[in-house]
Amino acid sequence: MDSSAKSVRTLELPPLFDRSSVGTLQGEIESALEAEPDRILLDLGPVERFDSSGMALLIETLRKGRDRGIEIRLRGAGGGVLDFLSLLSVDRLVTVDRERDPRPWIVRLGAVFIPVLDSTESGLRLVGRAIVEFFRDLWTGKTMHRDRFLEEVSHAGNGGMGIVLLIGFLLGLILAMQAWIQLRVFGAVQYIADMVAVSVTREIGPLMAAILVAARSGSSIAAQLGTMTINEEVDALRQMGVHPMRYLVLPKMLALGLATPCLAILFCGAAILGGALFGILAVGIEPGVFLESTRKALKFADLLGCLLKAGVFGFLIASVGCSLGLNVKGGPEGVGRATTGAVVASIFLIIVFDAIFVLALRVSG
Amino acid sequence: MRFLRRRPKIPPGLLRPRPPGKDLLRAVAVTTTFGDRTVLNGIDLAVRKGEIFVILGPSGCGKTTLLRHLSGMLEPTLGSITFEGRNLYLMPECELDRIRQRTGFSFQGGALLTSMSVLDNVILPLLENTDISPEIARQVGRMKLDMVGLLKAAEASPADLSGGMKKRAAIARAVSMDPELVFFDEPSAGLDPVTAAEVDNLILKLNKVFGITMVVVTHDIPSAFTIADRMMILHEGLVLAHGQRDEVRNSEDSTVQDFIHRALPAEEARRGEIMKYLAT
Repeated sequence: MDSSAKSVRTLELPPLFDRSSVGTLQGEIESALEAEPDRILLDLGPVERFDSSGMALLIETLRKGRDRGIEIRLRGAGGGVLDFLSLLSVDRLVTVDRERDPRPWIVRLGAVFIPVLDSTESGLRLVGRAIVEFFRDLWTGKTMHRDRFLEEVSHAGNGGMGIVLLIGFLLGLILAMQAWIQLRVFGAVQYIADMVAVSVTREIGPLMAAILVAARSGSSIAAQLGTMTINEEVDALRQMGVHPMRYLVLPKMLALGLATPCLAILFCGAAILGGALFGILAVGIEPGVFLESTRKALKFADLLGCLLKAGVFGFLIASVGCSLGLNVKGGPEGVGRATTGAVVASIFLIIVFDAIFVLALRVSG
Repeated sequence: MRFLRRRPKIPPGLLRPRPPGKDLLRAVAVTTTFGDRTVLNGIDLAVRKGEIFVILGPSGCGKTTLLRHLSGMLEPTLGSITFEGRNLYLMPECELDRIRQRTGFSFQGGALLTSMSVLDNVILPLLENTDISPEIARQVGRMKLDMVGLLKAAEASPADLSGGMKKRAAIARAVSMDPELVFFDEPSAGLDPVTAAEVDNLILKLNKVFGITMVVVTHDIPSAFTIADRMMILHEGLVLAHGQRDEVRNSEDSTVQDFIHRALPAEEARRGEIMKYLAT
């Protein structure tokens, strides 16, 4: 099959130059290349039939030859082979891809952090513009998109009510159960009511309601705006002189800022009800006593803090969802990334802001 | 087999030559780079009032990017875009918004808001930017939809429209504010020849009846030569030809003629590439 003469090696290709013969030929060509002759002559004369795998081996041989400084020449190529190769950009295909020099560590570090900083910057810019637009609307007396606002409130509030009530009720039940396990040791089961009421209104209520809103509405906002962005709908709005900030973003921010505190209060109510059910039915506390203990434990400041926290969390969730949605790049895959990112970033920010709230309330007494 | 029929002829009354108008939109030395890639390289053009200016070129030559620069959507890396002599990218956002209200844009895929009906899409700019009552806005919207032959689909969802209907709805929305200038991004892309000719006819009608200046980006050669008053051929970010429609059509430049007659120079060049690997 092959013959050699000084530093020229000739390889005769078989009549069937296709995927059935490429495996064997590849080994032969590789050993011919390893011998490092000055020139390899591929004789295509006997080739009767070929396919893409055969042509790929041919191109790969040309590429390896160029890489190793061995001259590769084709002989006896028929019209079919030439027609096939004319569909390709042979020069581009045989160009050797040199691996890029490894980037210095500072550049690699930058490549990780710069996108995070960019999205933080665009998020802050969005919030800033939303606040400016809100006050400008108030100043100029322009009516906000009330119907869009109500639609968003309905989607976030009405739509999320069922799951918030259910989870609140179950969580109240669990909290009461856990409290009973600990408190019965000290004979202080009557404090179940206090414990459920205080922990739910101060911490768990706004936090859980916000997490549920992030999962339901935050992801949906990012997906909706992301899809609108890749379908050029946001560009179309801008081009019509309709500002996406006023038309899309502001109603969502205000709606979530309103709906999340409402859901948090409902969550607290459902959790207290769940705790009460356990306390009254399982532990045997008098309903009147449970109610009185709850009333005494609940302070107006706690309720106010719960509403304030939940409002800020709602505003944060909408900001993250809108920012990631409006900055989607890369088609449907980008929408998926934005949706996941919106939930993760929202929950992270909710926890961070919750810690800030706790610190601020502790400092302010 | 409607799409196999020949393209219907445009009524001759719509094709009369017109006197040159004043420049409405001008691009000077527009250069755009995305990373290491230069998409547009020093493009100059001027669009005159009342004309249909066509930017013709193969896919990926940078024509949609140029249209986005011209419409104020994307700032070029270098160069300037002026509307009535004022640089679009040096003016405050509120002024750019005012200019946007004087222009319309018909996107390639329609970009109709899927959350609302076709009619609501058409009247959205009116409700947002003017003080007219919703009743009047709806009537204007119905008129515009009637003009593009879509009145029956007024209450339909954009998702239920065919490709040609989406384009026509997008055109109705683009002209809902009676703009002075409308940008069209590939108005005939993805349409069968008959529907494409209907869209061409509509563009010509709107231009003739309302005197709207139009900038059309297309890769459809027959469509470009049907509607253009003046045109520009872009190739790999550079201007291959620029001028009156007939000047471009009769250009003696062989690359222009190759493009117009859809020759395949790339295949010849590629055949040449393999020749150097053949043993003599």
